[in-house]
Amino acid sequence: MTTATARPNLRNPKKHNHYGFREFFQFDPDKGTIVDWNGSQNILTTEDFIIGLVEGLQDEVGDAAAATMYTIGCEWGQKDAFFFESWFEKEYDRSIRQANLMFLLETWWWPLAAQGWGRWEVDMGDRKQGFMFINLFDSAVARTLGDVGKPVCYLYAGLFSGFFTELVRKQLSCIELQCYSMGETYCKFLLGGRDRIDAATFWQTEGANARDIEKRLRAGELR
Amino acid sequence: MLSQLQRLSQEIDGRYATDSELQFLTEIAQTYHLRAQTYQKLQAAEAAIVQQLQAKMQALDPTLFRSGSEDVTAKWKRDTLRVLRYSAIAMLLNDPDTLRDRLLFWMQTVMKAFGAQRSCNVTYELMQDIVKQHLTAPQAKLFCPILELNRRSLGIS
Repeated sequence: MTTATARPNLRNPKKHNHYGFREFFQFDPDKGTIVDWNGSQNILTTEDFIIGLVEGLQDEVGDAAAATMYTIGCEWGQKDAFFFESWFEKEYDRSIRQANLMFLLETWWWPLAAQGWGRWEVDMGDRKQGFMFINLFDSAVARTLGDVGKPVCYLYAGLFSGFFTELVRKQLSCIELQCYSMGETYCKFLLGGRDRIDAATFWQTEGANARDIEKRLRAGELR
Repeated sequence: MLSQLQRLSQEIDGRYATDSELQFLTEIAQTYHLRAQTYQKLQAAEAAIVQQLQAKMQALDPTLFRSGSEDVTAKWKRDTLRVLRYSAIAMLLNDPDTLRDRLLFWMQTVMKAFGAQRSCNVTYELMQDIVKQHLTAPQAKLFCPILELNRRSLGIS
């Protein structure tokens, strides 16, 4: 979890491979803070914290917990997009609009990977059709909750929706098609316009799996 | 070595280390002189190694220095020098784990993003042949596994 504060490492601000544990995080035992390379203050949390967050929310708002987590993720993603834009420009001396897209996305995800949110893989093969897939390995939420037989990574789906919406300046939604918590080996997200995500949500509630949904989207179906 | 020392100091919590836990220090002591010599030779030969490599790759396939219509020779040179220097210190300290953590995991995603894996594959494969011209056989035996680690990390998707 992070909040922006003063940038800690001005010794070599143009260094790009700074994601090793000891390099990315600056531990200050006197102040009791952990500040990362980009100046965000980090807080270490346990798996119990994630369980408490998810189950506490469930107790408070019931079925609306999923939508709440998604909304929290959206806001986080939107804010992080602005924060990313600012540190990217400082570090690389260029606007995010001038960067190679895949490189830009990897650069956005690296701090999150270093913070323990998992590794990812972006599949842009269907970008021209208006949607794309994101594979997430080691989701912090799913890994913590274990096999519960349904998707649980609403926070991530919101994060991707919020970030990509800001990046492309067009409203994009996201749904988790398969999840480590359903017994799969990794989580898979679909990102796209509202109509496609609504269609995917409908097919999913009808029992379609990730592969069925991918096939139907590629065939151009919209319900 | 640094990663191993760190692990050792964490694991030896209020007890004496066993002989097998200290084995890596004996190995480092036995090979340190050779490692230091190799490191100095690499430092002295750096420019020649990169120049020979560039010429060999250019002769083999000039498209290795192109990304679409862009000439990426300068970028390639900068990246190659950086990897070579990180590799040299990894060999000196016998610490491929730190090389992976501090450079290769990150660089792998960048090379993939730019579609530079074929170029990386050739770079670190040919570099092994070229360093053998500058190093003795025992020196090359220390250094080439690090270059092979680079090739496997950066060169293959």
